[in-house]
Amino acid sequence: MSANIDPFQLEVLKSAFDTIADDIAITLMRTSYSGIIRDSLDFSTAICDPNGLTLAQGVCTPMHLGSFYDAMRKIIGQYEGRIEEGDVFISNDPYTAEGQHLPDIYIVKPIFWQGRLAGWSTTVAHHSDVGGIVPGSNALGAVEIYQEGLRLPVIKFVEAGRPNQAVWDIVATNVRTPEKVIGDLQAQMAACVSGERELCELFERYGLDTVLGYADHLHDYAERLARAEIAELPDGVYRFVDHIDGLGESGEEIVLNAAVTIRGDQCCVDWTGSSPQVRGGINSTLPFTKACAYTAMRSVMPADVPNCHGFTRAIEVIAPAGTVVNPVHPGPCGARGITGYRMIDCLFGALSQAAPDKVTADGSGGSTLPTIGGYQDGKAFVFCETFMGTWGAAETHDGQEGVPHMGANQTNVPIEMIEAEYPLRIERYGLVPDTGGPGRHRGGLSLTREYRLLSDEAVLNVRSDKRKHRPHGLFGGEEGHASSNILARADGAEESLPVLLTDPVYMHEGDVFRHVMSGGGGNGEALARDPALVLDDVLEEKVTPAHAAEAYGVVIAEGPVPRVDEAGTEALRAARRTAVS
Amino acid sequence: MQADQRVASDIGGTFTDIAYIDDDGRLVTGKVPSTPENYAAGVVTGIGDLLTRAELAPGRVGEMLHGCTVATNAILEQKGAATALLTTRGFRDILELRRIRVPRLYEPLYVKPPPLVPRRRRLEITERMDAAGGVLTALDEADVARAIERLADMKVEAVAVCFLHAYANPAHERRVGEMLRAAMPGAFISLSVDVLPEIREYERTSTTVINAYVGPPVKRYLDSMVEDLSAAGLTRRLMVMQSSGGILDAATAADRPAQIVECGPAAGVIAARELGRRCGYPDLITFDMGGTTAKAAIIEKGRLMSADEFEVGGGISSGGALGGGGGYALKLPAIDISEVGAGGGSIVWIDKAGALKVGPESAGAVPGPACYGQGGEAPTVTDANVVLGYLSQTTLAGGTVEIEAERSRRAIVERIARPLGRDLMETAHGIHTVANANMMRAVKAVTTYRGRDPRDFSLVAFGGNGGVHGVDLARVLRISKVIVPPAAGVFSAIGLLNANRELNLSAAFRTTIADIDVTAAERVWAGLEAEVRARFTGEALAFRRLADMRYGGQAFELTVPLPDGALDSAALAALGEAFEDEHERRYGHKFAGAHELEIVNLRLVGVVPVAEMGAIALTDAPPPSGDTSRRVHFGPGFAAEIETPILARADLDARLRAGPFIVEEYDSTTVVAPDCRAALDDHGNIVIDVAEQPGDTRS
Repeated sequence: MSANIDPFQLEVLKSAFDTIADDIAITLMRTSYSGIIRDSLDFSTAICDPNGLTLAQGVCTPMHLGSFYDAMRKIIGQYEGRIEEGDVFISNDPYTAEGQHLPDIYIVKPIFWQGRLAGWSTTVAHHSDVGGIVPGSNALGAVEIYQEGLRLPVIKFVEAGRPNQAVWDIVATNVRTPEKVIGDLQAQMAACVSGERELCELFERYGLDTVLGYADHLHDYAERLARAEIAELPDGVYRFVDHIDGLGESGEEIVLNAAVTIRGDQCCVDWTGSSPQVRGGINSTLPFTKACAYTAMRSVMPADVPNCHGFTRAIEVIAPAGTVVNPVHPGPCGARGITGYRMIDCLFGALSQAAPDKVTADGSGGSTLPTIGGYQDGKAFVFCETFMGTWGAAETHDGQEGVPHMGANQTNVPIEMIEAEYPLRIERYGLVPDTGGPGRHRGGLSLTREYRLLSDEAVLNVRSDKRKHRPHGLFGGEEGHASSNILARADGAEESLPVLLTDPVYMHEGDVFRHVMSGGGGNGEALARDPALVLDDVLEEKVTPAHAAEAYGVVIAEGPVPRVDEAGTEALRAARRTAVS
Repeated sequence: MQADQRVASDIGGTFTDIAYIDDDGRLVTGKVPSTPENYAAGVVTGIGDLLTRAELAPGRVGEMLHGCTVATNAILEQKGAATALLTTRGFRDILELRRIRVPRLYEPLYVKPPPLVPRRRRLEITERMDAAGGVLTALDEADVARAIERLADMKVEAVAVCFLHAYANPAHERRVGEMLRAAMPGAFISLSVDVLPEIREYERTSTTVINAYVGPPVKRYLDSMVEDLSAAGLTRRLMVMQSSGGILDAATAADRPAQIVECGPAAGVIAARELGRRCGYPDLITFDMGGTTAKAAIIEKGRLMSADEFEVGGGISSGGALGGGGGYALKLPAIDISEVGAGGGSIVWIDKAGALKVGPESAGAVPGPACYGQGGEAPTVTDANVVLGYLSQTTLAGGTVEIEAERSRRAIVERIARPLGRDLMETAHGIHTVANANMMRAVKAVTTYRGRDPRDFSLVAFGGNGGVHGVDLARVLRISKVIVPPAAGVFSAIGLLNANRELNLSAAFRTTIADIDVTAAERVWAGLEAEVRARFTGEALAFRRLADMRYGGQAFELTVPLPDGALDSAALAALGEAFEDEHERRYGHKFAGAHELEIVNLRLVGVVPVAEMGAIALTDAPPPSGDTSRRVHFGPGFAAEIETPILARADLDARLRAGPFIVEEYDSTTVVAPDCRAALDDHGNIVIDVAEQPGDTRS
């Protein structure tokens, strides 16, 4: 650390920036209205320096990590010389405002100190609806962005303290759930104000120049720390190819082709060779693609690297324009989250070669996003939740069950809250036995959730993953179970829906939508799993005796107290090994 | 002989603190080693010693107050009862799946804490209610009978029952409860409608399971405590601290054991509230700094703030922060206390990019800070405080621990100062400052995160290290007054003597204020009141009514007190206004009548107030180190070393005395910087006027 930087002051200010970013996040979480923000916590907050570089990001959604940078650069570039005290900016458009996808609306407030632009309070939140062809605005079947809803370039939502009423009216008119959207936008503004108050307090206490000077040092420090971690990985090019099953029932599979190059203390994530952009809403815009790369790399760094912009300088991201990882206008991207999650999974696949002890086998992937929207008593409702998740097994332990994807630390929505507020009944929610990928350490079990419609009619839209291309195992561990989407009609007929539903289907009263997510991949040879652990899984009713024999070669002697038939197990395993060799 | 004296015992990880205040206000305290194999042994010894010193016959003790860790430890050590859980069919995994969220980001190798009830002991029962309490599927009693047979094979000691929407209609849970009690007379049965009749299935299930899981060990503990105390001639009632800050008799606590899980830090906050009431400080931030953690809470206009919910065993948490998911959710009334991993024993280290870090690893009591000379090589916050001269150079903990200051200097020079290219004093002060920055986060979590400005409060500092860091922490937060109470090191035990008897009950009651059925609401409260009266027969009770409220559509509620008297339109308007004001205070905006107001739960607190305690008389013990002055470094803005007087509390009086000076006492140390002034108030508190930070670059 350079001699003219006081390491103590740096640590004190870093702690202060973190506190501010969390404060913004807490205000937003507590005052928001739509389930996807207040329960799923699909939002992010950051405090930025005057140049729009993130100083600290609230501990919310890693996938948004680093994503403020492009949006902030756009705002500052476009409005240079016209940024006033009391302004609040709004934007969401990927192509004119460096946004992520239309439901993610940025609310950003410049912070002034003694008449000078001194920083930014920033928030981005996933809104329950922004119009477009399906409720929830994440149409997989959209073929151009114009179908996905209301596009907002960077606009002053509030101008020098005066709300720009025209914009408010346009937003309220174009969304299906204006009360929730406007309430959530107000929550975002309240959150920005709390960040402004806290940052100004730091200026008052330490002086503007000191604070901003140390902001620069913080970026350097984060970069140094990230580089030190990257340098510990062995040099090399680590490749991994992953596939998204495809759009609709017969869609072509979509290739994600990752090459992670580690050279010294520098890392490059290159997506060259990935599929061209698709005519469906899962194209991942560049800021999002970068954020996903940062998330994956950050996850193999044990050190407490600050969530500030400087950390990203050690990571280069290459994503050719016109591909599914960097679409060009007017590529649709409303449901691009699923691609982002899969990119992180794909990068973990690559990183398992460089750091096998730092990652797990593949998990269930991104959240399944069921959206059920319709009208009840003449009023629109849009139910949407992010349903997660199960992990692959690690070198040291079984896959975790009931956990979020590494890209988004979100929560489930309480069943009792859903039933109290929507014409829906949850019929089942839990683990599905025998679905974890076999291995010396077992992959996590699939989760299932069933939604019964209680109103006359509603539109069902589903974004999910990993039916054909299932979660991979590592080091001899096997794949996890495939996902499935079943629509069980009230009359008993059942139909299977594709993982990415391009044509929304209508549900009618009494119909049940049943989702089973994929199971986590195993780690190590299944025949090497300790029979005592297999027995424990049987006692826990996570593995049936039949699956224990079939997948693990473990014979369970059933009886009042099941136990391992050791001789039977030895014989069965020996036979399996011979068959394999 | 009148049995009118009260004695408190507070169990800690290392020591059990005993406190007693006689009729003349003389405080007698004791510290004995805790005895984990049977905590009662330590308590009996401690109280016995104290009674001897106070010249008090055991028969004079009319009430014993107790703060214990039995319930928390049962959870942290996974040593609770073998517990089963009955759920609605289709939902056995709610407990294990939790809220999905994990406490830390970017950790692919994270391992969840195991559920307190394994899957094999979670049984599904055919039954179903809807959100309005309507029966969708009748309770299948044959199914229950089959489950009971399986439970018999499992040899469970406790059974939790949590069905979907039971808060809206308890009939199925109640019937299952009857069947369980009839079939399993010795088992501890815990129904969600008794423990937490509120919406949100995971929190209700988890809380009910915790209640069942700790029920048998808490009962055994309290029974054995009562028995051992009786054998020692202490035959009167034993009262136990709850997480909410109220106390309960041991028998009631044993029926509601989940209420005492987080009682540890509550007592200190109660002591602070009493201090504030008696001495005239209505708005306080409590700052409790011990060996491994620092905790903060606020008291506003004499009122405690309650936490929305918390987790047991989630590691160090900031109450209001975004963490969560790492422990076991417990949604019962508790004081809102935040905690960070910064204490005297916190280890100081340098990360890969050369930045200085304090904690969260702690050297604990063994090996302890480097200066203990017990094998601890890593420098700690205490070592920095020794180097700076804030702490005695020869002994700590009231003379019970001998130290070598040279070891502190060596550890900091070799491990920190030299690698950073800084000198010793600058580094030691830097460590002190970074520790303060960490602790500031605990305070922020209960103030700015809750819409409160720390400058509107005074800081009451206690715990062994509270007075060492209080002034500098106050400066960071722009707090102008720091109060260090007498016996700050055993303040929690004093809090037990100050606590009211209190029972907290709640019931789900979902309505908008506009559509409220007042008669129905009154009926709910009357039911809760009858339940409290049944527990506290013949006592002079006061009641407080509260409601959990939110704007229609929000997911989180704020708990708001109701005005006394009838629930008429004026009272409802006042309730709405109180909610909106609190919403504005916390989150910066309100809708001022433009948005629907919802009530989610009704709450009732039944209180039997404790008799007021007199002022604490000061002792005239000299500083334990025997020093009369020391050379002390107060950081940038002051001379490098300042010869600083070492005083006893009794050396101060009502006249403001200019710093620098250090007050050394048996159980704590108070550092008053050169630019601060301090005096004793009428109640023996050291009250420090804090100056703005030296070298403050504000323009």
